[in-house]
Amino acid sequence: MTEKPILRGLRTGLVFGLIMVFLFLIGFTDTGANLVAKMLGNPTPTNQHPSVTYYAIFMALYATWCGSAAANRVAAGTSLINRLGAGTVGGFTAGAICSLTGYIFGTLNQQGIDPRAYLVALSPQTIQLFLFNAESVASGALTLVGVMTAGGLLGAVLAVAWKAWVGKRLIGLKQDTGHLYQNVLLQQWKDKALVRYALLALLAAALLILPRAWGSYWNYVLGTVGIYIVLGLGLNIITGLAGQLVIGYVAFFGLGAYTFALLSAPEPHQISMNFWIALVLAVVVAAVFGFLLGLPILNLRGDYLAIVTMGFGEIVRILLKSDLLTSFTGGPKGVRDIGGPTLFGRPFNSDVDFMYLIIIAVLVIAFLANRLQRSRVGRAWEAVREDETVARATGINAFRSKILALTISAAIAGLAGVLFASRNQFTGPEDHSLLVSINVICLVIVGGIGSIPGIILGAFALKGLPEVLREVESFRMLAFGALLVLMMNIRPEGFWPASRPKLENQAEEAIAAVPAEQKV
Amino acid sequence: MSVCIQANQVSKVFGGLTAVNQVDLTVPEHAITSIIGPNGAGKTTLFNCISGYYTPEQGQIIFYGAPIQGLPTYVIASLGIARTYQNIRLFGNLTAIENVLTGEEPKLRANWFEALIGSRRMRAEEKAAVQEARRLLKYVGLEGLGDQLARNLPYGAQRKLEIARALANQPRLLLLDEPTAGMNSQETEQMTRFIRSLRDDLGITIILIEHDMQVVMGISDQITVLDYGTKIAEGMPKEIQTNQRVIEAYLGPGGQALTKKYQERKNGSHVIR
Repeated sequence: MTEKPILRGLRTGLVFGLIMVFLFLIGFTDTGANLVAKMLGNPTPTNQHPSVTYYAIFMALYATWCGSAAANRVAAGTSLINRLGAGTVGGFTAGAICSLTGYIFGTLNQQGIDPRAYLVALSPQTIQLFLFNAESVASGALTLVGVMTAGGLLGAVLAVAWKAWVGKRLIGLKQDTGHLYQNVLLQQWKDKALVRYALLALLAAALLILPRAWGSYWNYVLGTVGIYIVLGLGLNIITGLAGQLVIGYVAFFGLGAYTFALLSAPEPHQISMNFWIALVLAVVVAAVFGFLLGLPILNLRGDYLAIVTMGFGEIVRILLKSDLLTSFTGGPKGVRDIGGPTLFGRPFNSDVDFMYLIIIAVLVIAFLANRLQRSRVGRAWEAVREDETVARATGINAFRSKILALTISAAIAGLAGVLFASRNQFTGPEDHSLLVSINVICLVIVGGIGSIPGIILGAFALKGLPEVLREVESFRMLAFGALLVLMMNIRPEGFWPASRPKLENQAEEAIAAVPAEQKV
Repeated sequence: MSVCIQANQVSKVFGGLTAVNQVDLTVPEHAITSIIGPNGAGKTTLFNCISGYYTPEQGQIIFYGAPIQGLPTYVIASLGIARTYQNIRLFGNLTAIENVLTGEEPKLRANWFEALIGSRRMRAEEKAAVQEARRLLKYVGLEGLGDQLARNLPYGAQRKLEIARALANQPRLLLLDEPTAGMNSQETEQMTRFIRSLRDDLGITIILIEHDMQVVMGISDQITVLDYGTKIAEGMPKEIQTNQRVIEAYLGPGGQALTKKYQERKNGSHVIR
């Protein structure tokens, strides 16, 4: 065996081991075991620690990943032994690092020193579990090394097998689908209007039936996703298309929510306005604030704009909960009993009705945003984003363009705020913290800047998944950060990058309709 | 022949540096005027004053009888002044045809609300604009590349695309900032012919910044020479070639003798390098 594969395995194991130590220190090992338990259909009861079996599976899976990564890193063409060796060494290294950590903390634990003074999540049970609830610290540590080495070997075997057998097939499959894609017949079939209408009808039916079928929990979760899609589509206009980084976007969300709340709730103003009138007013108020904020700040570029808008977002939140305005906004305790929508005089506020309302809002906003994006207005925004100086010399009023973008974005955020406040029947200042802005920016970036389907995907990934995976909720920020770093490295253009319209080779009949004298 | 654009005593100061110093320039309609001068002479600054990026501290710029200095850039563009850039500046993440469409911006009338509701007028306008953009792409020789991202186009195509974008504005005055920079002799010749055809076929007045003297001497109806922001000479190509101040600006004092020697050796071919 040459030296290189071992070194590779060592290095991979080092990285994986250190990451696992970090995850252990923040208490993620419990969460991981819980996740495994849930996936195997045997969720851990709340307030109990997961069983050793699931924890062992979790660690073994992690080591398998480590082993396969190590085996894959070894240069192609090296012998089987080398690759398996690299995987095993990787698993062993990771295991050794983990078990050393476990040994240290296990010993501390036995001597009655509680590490929770410094590491909040590190309870004695977590440490015990990390060492497989073993009798002595040493035997636990040894088990840990054993499990992870075995996992590493398994990972290496899997990686080798994958490359030898499945990998080849996959390449063949890829070529097949490639051919299929180029297949003219299929292309024509795809372009046929009838097929597209059939697919649309299917989607419409699904959207109509599903909210009734899947119960109030899913309506709540997916309603939140829908509201974030609306927010994402709004932010996409000013940040994705016009290229102006607005961080305090939540301010408009809050302004919309609060305008609506104050107009339709019995407290503190006894106005109780009709839902639809209040909705329009809230959207208008948000848009007006967007316009007014834009006037002084949109001449700023880049970082300066980001900082100023961030400040605006915080100002709005702090004003909403300030003592000064308590009689007007309800202060820190927020506004309760916000009115729901009515339809022809009848209340329209069950969870199913709200889901319909949110679906309609998403569809309408996506439709309008797409229209704007594909028109001269959207083109002007993108030109400003690409090079503002040049855009001005091609005859674009850049300032007006940006103000328009911010106003429309703000109006859309206002609409999202109305939906949010009305559905929850409550809104408070902490619903409108900076975190919302950051979430929205993340989902736009992860989904694909400037891409409407990308944003929908991003909202599902960033708002939908954490709701489903409740166990990892306390690690959400960590996951967000890791996801963003990963995305920037692997796919900076997002999950579903924006596509450009094909204008030069567009179907000819579209042009045939133009009057003859305009043809040059 | 009427006057297209006229600069009267235009000055532009950056801090303590006078980049353009009381420059007079008169460009007759349908003429090709070249502005030459050593690096840092203020040629591009003068362009930026005309196209509205800078407001001159002093003097007037008169375009078809109306003063334009101090107007916003986009207004000046909509009056019919289009330009290209020394280092190509396209909208890289837009397709080639979208770049041209952006150039048509001053002609488009539909507002955002019409775009939102998809009004009839907006759609007709958009169709006509796309068609015009296709025609322009064909005109500059980029047919078939329209749906490529601008940043993926080869260098020569990017230069052409920049001109197509400028032409989309249907300009009365076209400012070309070093249109042949980075081109080989064959491409340069092609570009020269193309620029001349813009004037001859479309009747566009052209001001050109150029370093390639072969291009300048071959194409220009008149030449203005700047040095340290000041106009040091003006006239027909022949006059400029023998102008002593111009030669000194390029070659330093004593340049006259050097040029004579060079020309003797070259058997009287008129080249300043």
